[in-house]
Amino acid sequence: MSTASKTQAVSNPNRRLISLSNLLPWAFAALFLLCLPLIFQSSSALTIMNQMAITIVFALSYNMLLGQGGMLSFGHAVYMGLGGFFAMHVMNMVEYEGLWLPLPFLPVIGGLFGMFFAFLIGSFSTRRAGTVFAMISLGVGELIAACSIIIVVFFGGEEGISGDRTMGPEVLGVDFAAQSEVYYLTVIWLLIATVLMYLFSRTPIGRIANAVRDNEERAEFLGYSQRRVRWMSFIASGFFAGIAGSLFAINFEILTEENLNLATSGSILLITFLGGVGFFVGPIIGAIVFTLLQTVLGLYTEIWSLYLGILFVSCVMFFPGGFAGIIAMHRRPLALGKLNLLFGPYLKVVIPALTSVLSLAAILEISFHKRHSFGDDHEMSLYGITFDSHGYQALGFTIVIAAISLFLVSRILPSIKAAWDEANHAGDAQ
Amino acid sequence: MTVPAIELRNLDKSFGLAKIIQGVDLKIEKGERHAVIGPNGAGKSTLFNLITGRFAPTSGGVYLHGEDVSGMQPFEINRRGLSRSFQITNIFPNMTVFENIRCGLLWTMGYKYSFWHMINGQRDVTEKAEQILEEINLTARRDLLAGTLAYAEQRALEIGITIAGGADIILLDEPCAGMSHSETDLIVDLIRKVTEDKTLMIVEHDMGVIFDLADKISVLVYGEIIESDVPDAVRASAKVKEAYLGTTLEEEEA
Repeated sequence: MSTASKTQAVSNPNRRLISLSNLLPWAFAALFLLCLPLIFQSSSALTIMNQMAITIVFALSYNMLLGQGGMLSFGHAVYMGLGGFFAMHVMNMVEYEGLWLPLPFLPVIGGLFGMFFAFLIGSFSTRRAGTVFAMISLGVGELIAACSIIIVVFFGGEEGISGDRTMGPEVLGVDFAAQSEVYYLTVIWLLIATVLMYLFSRTPIGRIANAVRDNEERAEFLGYSQRRVRWMSFIASGFFAGIAGSLFAINFEILTEENLNLATSGSILLITFLGGVGFFVGPIIGAIVFTLLQTVLGLYTEIWSLYLGILFVSCVMFFPGGFAGIIAMHRRPLALGKLNLLFGPYLKVVIPALTSVLSLAAILEISFHKRHSFGDDHEMSLYGITFDSHGYQALGFTIVIAAISLFLVSRILPSIKAAWDEANHAGDAQ
Repeated sequence: MTVPAIELRNLDKSFGLAKIIQGVDLKIEKGERHAVIGPNGAGKSTLFNLITGRFAPTSGGVYLHGEDVSGMQPFEINRRGLSRSFQITNIFPNMTVFENIRCGLLWTMGYKYSFWHMINGQRDVTEKAEQILEEINLTARRDLLAGTLAYAEQRALEIGITIAGGADIILLDEPCAGMSHSETDLIVDLIRKVTEDKTLMIVEHDMGVIFDLADKISVLVYGEIIESDVPDAVRASAKVKEAYLGTTLEEEEA
């Protein structure tokens, strides 16, 4: 009984539509995003942040399907790509045919185009969820990717299509030539899209999408057509994917087949899952982590995608809730006031765990270097240490370090588990 | 004479060669509590699935308030005022208890596929959902995930979702299956309370529940209704005794 009453006290929901506590995180996020360029001023940092913002919108739109509607799509890049291509054509019409359209409104156009295609394709693909939906999405994804090579007028063939974002009418004296101006445009759209997607999840259709995800048959017996519910989620998701595509067009001024192929569809699935499909913030975390891994880790190592793959597999196996799930797991200890029990064990495991991750990575890096270095380029530098990658000393040393640190981690794990059980136990044992 | 709430006319259902329901004729009047009993495999659940649109009949018709609904989708039949529960608990496990009930309310309260209402801001829905939670005694469990509830509570929630939409015809498929005696008593009281002035059709194995609750009983054996009458007449029927009740009833009364 005590469990129930405590949980109830903790999660007593705020029933007012708009309240300070609801608004505060959004205001804080907006302020944070608007101030970011003051901290990171370099153009490459701005590019990374823009890319992050685009990926966030894309991942959130993907999660409208996967997390909220229970639809596993292998072809979501189609809607982002189509929205982006269309936006690019409109951008070119602004440049060459004198169409009057201020750049900040371009994402609406791209979004509507993505939405239109989601409407068409969703009309048959959302008939059923599960495997049928997944297979159709895969087929459509492949189909559109193939079309992009064939229909050169729209997709521009192999080199894609490009444009110039600065040719539209100026908005408040801004022509969007500078990277920072594009950053603000992107971030404002990020905020708009995120708020709208969040609000969508709180509407009757958004909640019923959850119901259909959980138990489509039961939803039918409550008066809802599961197909119609999925279709509507799908259309909404297509709109936001189109917005992400338009933002991509604005930022990079080029779109190619790569923007709508299966590899892109696959990586958005990976990003969303990594962040956590069960939570609204999951895809946001996933997009940030992924973009950082891709861009920052990509600077240091050629095999960053291998690390990403390992991360993904271990996430699926050990933390199916993703990063957001790991954070959410700590809500209960926090609610019980027992979070402090976990600090000690966590602190104890940090150094051995980090060491084992770094030394395992070192084993991979050394092996990779040995295999792929040219000629007698034996010199390798890792973590600031320069050594001979072909000798047995370096490899042997890292293997020993990895073994020791893994052993230490395995010794500490039981105490973490014990602390975890204690921290999640509602009874008083202080 | 008034139009019956549910009418089955010469209803047939076969799966391949197997004839599960054969020529069932049945009228359930408005406000009646009608129980369907019969041995395992008699086709009781299939009959429910035919009435609620989960399966389409092979031949024959299902009429709700005189309207032919055979071949309609479950959601279309639900919108005509029929709601059902399931033999195997069928709830939304990853949503809270409150949200489960709310999902049952949204269509009939007119929110349908709306994406222009903020759901938490709709006081009418919240109040109605809380009132139903109170009726099914799950107020204390309001914000727990439905999948974490105890079995008996999930069964109560199942009934809550079923009645939430305010349907005037309620079909309950073995609501007391797998429950202890005291839990069964609670559920029976609950059913009686929430189906007041409604048409109830119930499948149940617990004879105590049936004779306690039902105005009329139909006995289904091998897909055919062999008797349909008031409880005392069914109890006295030689046909029923021979086909089915003989052993069970004596056990009950022993």
